[in-house]
Amino acid sequence: MTTLSRTAVLLGFRIRQEVLEWSGAWWFLLTLVVQAVVAPLIGLFVWSAVYPDDPGIGRYYVAVVLVTLMTESFEQHTFSERIYNGTLSHELLRPQPVVVGVIGMNLAIRGWLTLLGAPIVLLTAIARQIGFDGWAVLRSTPYLLLAAVLVFLWTFLLSLTAFWTDRVHAVVGFGSQLIFLFGGTAAPIGLLPDTWRRIAEILPFYGMIGLPAEIATGTRSGGSLGYQLVWVAVLAGTVAVLWRAGVRRYTAVGS
Amino acid sequence: MKLLRLLAAGFSMSLRRSVAFRVNLVFDVLLAFTGLGTAVAAVLIVFTRADTLAGWSKAEFLILIGTYQLITGLRTTFIDPNLSWFPETGIRNGKLDGYLLQPAPSLFLSSLSLSSPLQLIQFVLGAGVLGWGIAAADRGPSAGGAVSWLVLVVAGIVVTWALSVLLACLAFWAPKLQLDVFYHSAWQFGRYPTDVFARPLRILLTYVFPMALIASVPSTALLRGPQFGVLVAGIAAAGGAAALAALAWRAGLRRYTGATS
Repeated sequence: MTTLSRTAVLLGFRIRQEVLEWSGAWWFLLTLVVQAVVAPLIGLFVWSAVYPDDPGIGRYYVAVVLVTLMTESFEQHTFSERIYNGTLSHELLRPQPVVVGVIGMNLAIRGWLTLLGAPIVLLTAIARQIGFDGWAVLRSTPYLLLAAVLVFLWTFLLSLTAFWTDRVHAVVGFGSQLIFLFGGTAAPIGLLPDTWRRIAEILPFYGMIGLPAEIATGTRSGGSLGYQLVWVAVLAGTVAVLWRAGVRRYTAVGS
Repeated sequence: MKLLRLLAAGFSMSLRRSVAFRVNLVFDVLLAFTGLGTAVAAVLIVFTRADTLAGWSKAEFLILIGTYQLITGLRTTFIDPNLSWFPETGIRNGKLDGYLLQPAPSLFLSSLSLSSPLQLIQFVLGAGVLGWGIAAADRGPSAGGAVSWLVLVVAGIVVTWALSVLLACLAFWAPKLQLDVFYHSAWQFGRYPTDVFARPLRILLTYVFPMALIASVPSTALLRGPQFGVLVAGIAAAGGAAALAALAWRAGLRRYTGATS
């Protein structure tokens, strides 16, 4: 069995284990869903008040709600806490990459959030009489997958700062504010002032939320996969460097 | 007076604990700056596309955000450290047992004895944005408007405290029910005037989670002058909510049998 297929099998087992473990925490998962949808819903109401006759605003924000649910990451809670309480040592001793466990939990939580948040998305779409073009939604799939990878890498990267500081929640909170402002949740980036829009189009955050949402709504027809791939490579490289430096610094409790 | 002295002593101890970690202070200041900056930026973006939003101008919105941030700062400083996650920390882990044995009212000890002094940064920044809004407004607030704003802000803080206590009290009957996140999520809606939202949500934010009282109502009083009816309603809401919280707490304690029993 090659390393890749072995890792895939391990990841499959981990996802199954995490899905089952989280199935008992549906109330907590529901609170995560509510937290995730509040900011896009506020955006929906605010921009609908500015452009009451534009159905594109409603469609965009419904897509943003769904993208947010499908890409949420909580490594500052799941991974960083393991650094703080010393249980990262258990993961380091296992004969598998630590990141397999992190990704397994991430995907399991995202699956649950999408499932539990789907009624909110449906209700909002029905209440505001919003429809989607099936082809546009299908076209958005690769963008959504890359967005999911980008959000994970960004959150994991910031969560790695737990090796150096105990204020990882503040660090990740700052990262989330950047996603909110430049990612397309505070406003569709087409509505940002010119300078801000140009900055937002270069930064990785637009590729995390706004881009897949715009493709799904049909506002954009394609392109920009390269932009997402470049940022995936940059963030993955930075994560690898920071991980190595962090593990060298890590001292387990009792050692 | 005794309770005020206790509050001051608790704040002083928390402050000494907090300043021992200076790097944390830097992080908290930075996060408070960026958090408020993000909120203000989100609103300023709207005003690059519109002159008013739900009848509120940019300056009026800044006053609203400043007021919201001010009350949020007080909430995160004095209320959240005590009542956030109360079902787990207070009931399931038995912290309440310790409070019940101390010679001070358990409601005070459970809801106001701890504080996070560094969070007062949010209060200061909120005051700054409020000042910016007042300076940018077409005309300054009247003395009556300022007084009614102050009264309504105090009423808003009392309602905030009472709502947190009421949510905490639910833990006496359902210890696993954790509604904090819903409350904090609803809190975010307070940053905008209720007129922005759809009718069902507007009703929810006015009567169930009265977020309108947090920022919208005091800001309106500051901008458009005092309204006797609103003032009376605000004071009545604060008094009613506080009385309800005290009653619920008493009923909860009668039911409570200790974490280890």
